[in-house]
Amino acid sequence: MIEVRGLAKRFGPVEAVKDLTFTVGDGEIFGLLGPNGAGKTTTVRMLAGLIVPSGGAAAINGQVLGRDSSRIRALTGVLTESPGLHDKLTARQNLAYYGRLYGLRGAALHRAVDRYLGVVGLDGMGDRRVAGFSKGMRQKVAIARALLHEPEVIYLDEPTSGLDPSAAKTVRDFVSTLRNAGRSIVICTHNLDEAERLSDRIGIMRGSLLMVNTPAGLRRHGRTATIRVELAASDGETRRLVEALAPLPFVGAARTEPGGLQVEVGDPRRDNPELVAALVAQGARIIAVSEEAASLEEVYLHLVGETGERDEDAPPSASADGARSAA
Amino acid sequence: MRPGYIWAVFGKEWSDIRSNRLLLGAVVLPAVIFAAIPTGLVAFIQGHELDPTQLDQIKAFVQQFPNLSPKLATQGFIVTNFMAYFLLIPAMVPMALATQSVIGEKQARSLEPQLATPVEVPELLAGKTIAAALPAVLATWGVYIAYGLVNGWIAEPALTRLVFSTVWITAMATLVPLICLFSVLLGIVVSSRVSDARTAQQIGGFVVLPIIGVAVAQFFGGQATFTLAQVITGDLVVLGLIGVVLAIGSWAFDRESILTRLG
Repeated sequence: MIEVRGLAKRFGPVEAVKDLTFTVGDGEIFGLLGPNGAGKTTTVRMLAGLIVPSGGAAAINGQVLGRDSSRIRALTGVLTESPGLHDKLTARQNLAYYGRLYGLRGAALHRAVDRYLGVVGLDGMGDRRVAGFSKGMRQKVAIARALLHEPEVIYLDEPTSGLDPSAAKTVRDFVSTLRNAGRSIVICTHNLDEAERLSDRIGIMRGSLLMVNTPAGLRRHGRTATIRVELAASDGETRRLVEALAPLPFVGAARTEPGGLQVEVGDPRRDNPELVAALVAQGARIIAVSEEAASLEEVYLHLVGETGERDEDAPPSASADGARSAA
Repeated sequence: MRPGYIWAVFGKEWSDIRSNRLLLGAVVLPAVIFAAIPTGLVAFIQGHELDPTQLDQIKAFVQQFPNLSPKLATQGFIVTNFMAYFLLIPAMVPMALATQSVIGEKQARSLEPQLATPVEVPELLAGKTIAAALPAVLATWGVYIAYGLVNGWIAEPALTRLVFSTVWITAMATLVPLICLFSVLLGIVVSSRVSDARTAQQIGGFVVLPIIGVAVAQFFGGQATFTLAQVITGDLVVLGLIGVVLAIGSWAFDRESILTRLG
């Protein structure tokens, strides 16, 4: 469980992250979406106990950030923006090294290394130096490294970056199994499709969190939902139904379209049953009812703007810190 | 500090060093060269008779070995005088290994994943320091032992006794590890400010100048070798320098600085 309250980070005069408040429950995947320099990587670095927040507070599985940072690092797995592997070592040596840094020893260490080499599909490649690995293979080793010690909280920065579609699907499926195992997972990504597919909730950030909601909730953001009703009715009958719906309090607008009608409602979960009941009461023969939502991309661009990158407030050391180039 | 974590970092660094043959060559070659030059001179003198007029020119040096024949005293002077250059190995080699390690990590962006683990920064640096210092210490000690034995074998056992004197055993046991430590710490601090290993080594390379200065001053001062007091003074000076480097570099050793400055 990750609980964040008013978290902030300044780099000198630059406020990289401000007033960040959110929670991630056990068995939940929280997607952090935002342009370059939005502060996603800085946020993950703070939550992983790597850098000290300038303000606010956070607790990871009850361990308080700052006071218990060492314990937080032990129960946290981090997939960094760049794989950061040791090229002269083999994949197995890389994982064994990190296993030792996470406190694994002896048979438990060997079991964990073998298991995660298998999980990421590198069982036959463990004894090859990673210097010769492709980008995707390096990413797989980095993923295995982040999970080796069975962390309760996992931060994944662009987890499928550089992976081919099949490997990306394997990783996504595996992340879903981690959620099912009760882990709290934060994913930083530029990939809207991936965020939508994986995340239970998504936070769109640009220095601060602009909005947090479920993917469906985000898609409906700032607009009434458009409900399409497919009808077995003539044009005249459809026009009559539109006129009948217009005065109803939950209907924003109603219009005909080929094969049926479109109705604007405020909240589909609340209003759709009323809408269907009203249509049935008017004698409508309904074939299908569907919601036409905005795409996540539209909502994202609406919130962060078309320009994306946050040049004006990136910290001076941000290229190294990752705040400017945060994935 | 937890030994298990230091050992883990040391093991990784050691694997890195072993896999880099060029770097291993850089460790062994200077030591061999510093030992080979005086040994060659000793062997040359052993095969030739000294010219009495030349003996006159080196009278001041030869007189420092009153119990030895002029020829053996000349060899003794050469053997002991060149040993000051052995101190260059712990000054040069660990610096090269440390800068290579830190800047290599900087370029590979592999520091962040390590810092995300429960390892503490002093443990990480201790593992790196030991791994960078140990090859130089072992190379210096190995060449020192071989140097004493080979020169004794070429000339007479008296040369072996000169090499394995109390002064030089003390220097090898204290001054060599201390110079190594100073060299590694300086290498790490310099590496935090620059982005390529060559620049770091060039800046850090200034550390060899005082040692060369001491060796040259010793020769022109007509002193055959260091005294015990000079070795202990050297220990104290290097300890002081280590303190200064630690104080200057303490800012670079916290997790956040390493991440933001070293990447």
